[in-house]
Amino acid sequence: MNRRFILASAPTLALVSLVTLITVAAPTTQKSGAKKSLTAAGGAKTAPAAQAPITVNGVANIDPTKAFGSKNASVTMEIFSDFQCPACKQLFTTTTQRVMDNYVNNNKVYLIHRDFPLPMHAYSRVAASYSRAAAHIGKCESVELALFQNQEKWEMNGDVKGTVAAVLTPAEMKKVQELVDGKTLEALVEKDKQLGQAVPVNQTPTMIIHTRDGQSYPVVGFVSYDVLKTLLDQIVK
Amino acid sequence: MESAPFNFRRLVIWFGRIVLAAIFIYAGLAKMIRWDMHPRPPIGIATSLFALQIDSYQMLPAWASLQVARWLPWAEIAVGLLLLIGWRLRIWSTIVTLIIGGFFAAVVRAYALHLDINCGCFAKPEPLTGFTVLRDGALFLLAVLMTVFAFQEARKPHPWSAPSPEQPS
Repeated sequence: MNRRFILASAPTLALVSLVTLITVAAPTTQKSGAKKSLTAAGGAKTAPAAQAPITVNGVANIDPTKAFGSKNASVTMEIFSDFQCPACKQLFTTTTQRVMDNYVNNNKVYLIHRDFPLPMHAYSRVAASYSRAAAHIGKCESVELALFQNQEKWEMNGDVKGTVAAVLTPAEMKKVQELVDGKTLEALVEKDKQLGQAVPVNQTPTMIIHTRDGQSYPVVGFVSYDVLKTLLDQIVK
Repeated sequence: MESAPFNFRRLVIWFGRIVLAAIFIYAGLAKMIRWDMHPRPPIGIATSLFALQIDSYQMLPAWASLQVARWLPWAEIAVGLLLLIGWRLRIWSTIVTLIIGGFFAAVVRAYALHLDINCGCFAKPEPLTGFTVLRDGALFLLAVLMTVFAFQEARKPHPWSAPSPEQPS
């Protein structure tokens, strides 16, 4: 064995020992898990006219009008999104729709839509308010779809109201407008935002997937359905 | 003329080997073990989570993201160890440079496209920012220097391992 070999092997052994030590000695205490943060942020006010928030699978502060599927599902998926964010549109119109069809409608996943309007987007907060109001009259899916599908139009002219009105009857639109003008549901939008900040959500869209055994998996950015499916198939029981 | 045992080139090679090997081994293990999560997920779920991070770059089809997620962590650990051992250094340093070059290109592309995603470099949630681009750029530069110097050094054998001059009879 020559000197060169000994010199080359020394850092190898040192590094392998260090990595092994880190692996074995890594702390197992909860640091800043999404679920813990969500629960911790649960002290804000709720709108008096809103339906009472519910808790499913340990995930608190769920507005039932913005949630879909069976509460007995083994997986709960929160999606923090901004109506003016292009990746959120892409996620909603492709991946989320297929998750709805194949997991939510089959009672395998409970899906929660959280509003996370980013300050850099001029109309996303308005869009979130209209969407929330529409959800409270039972028109969540159609209005969300209209807002995302027409994102490029209303983000140019700010005509969120017109976009929403196009998919509602005049009577429905009147109710929605009253809720928006009365700012009755603003607290719920703000609550979602606070919950996101507590996770913390740094980008939109961000999905937090919760299993019944208390594990939380964050997924950031647009992801395709086929890749998401491999994860869901492993954790859905 | 016999070359000095430690010159700038050799220091860069040693530094590059140790730093890049440590980063590769750590990155590979982090993706499989996910010690940022409590409790730690099984390796299958950790692989799926990494596949989602690769997929968020929107560069590869779904099947390719899944295959890369399955094999890349093992490749990172293996290449890191080989780099550290120093066996066939020119081959492994070239491979490491190509891998880091690929990472750097992916990060620059995502940054240029304003994709709001996590880097996925060390599996943990780490937003892709200008710092990520600079860091990967610096690592790529180090890998390139190490590889170029490894080829140059091969032409000048180390005095400790060079054959001893023939003794006059």
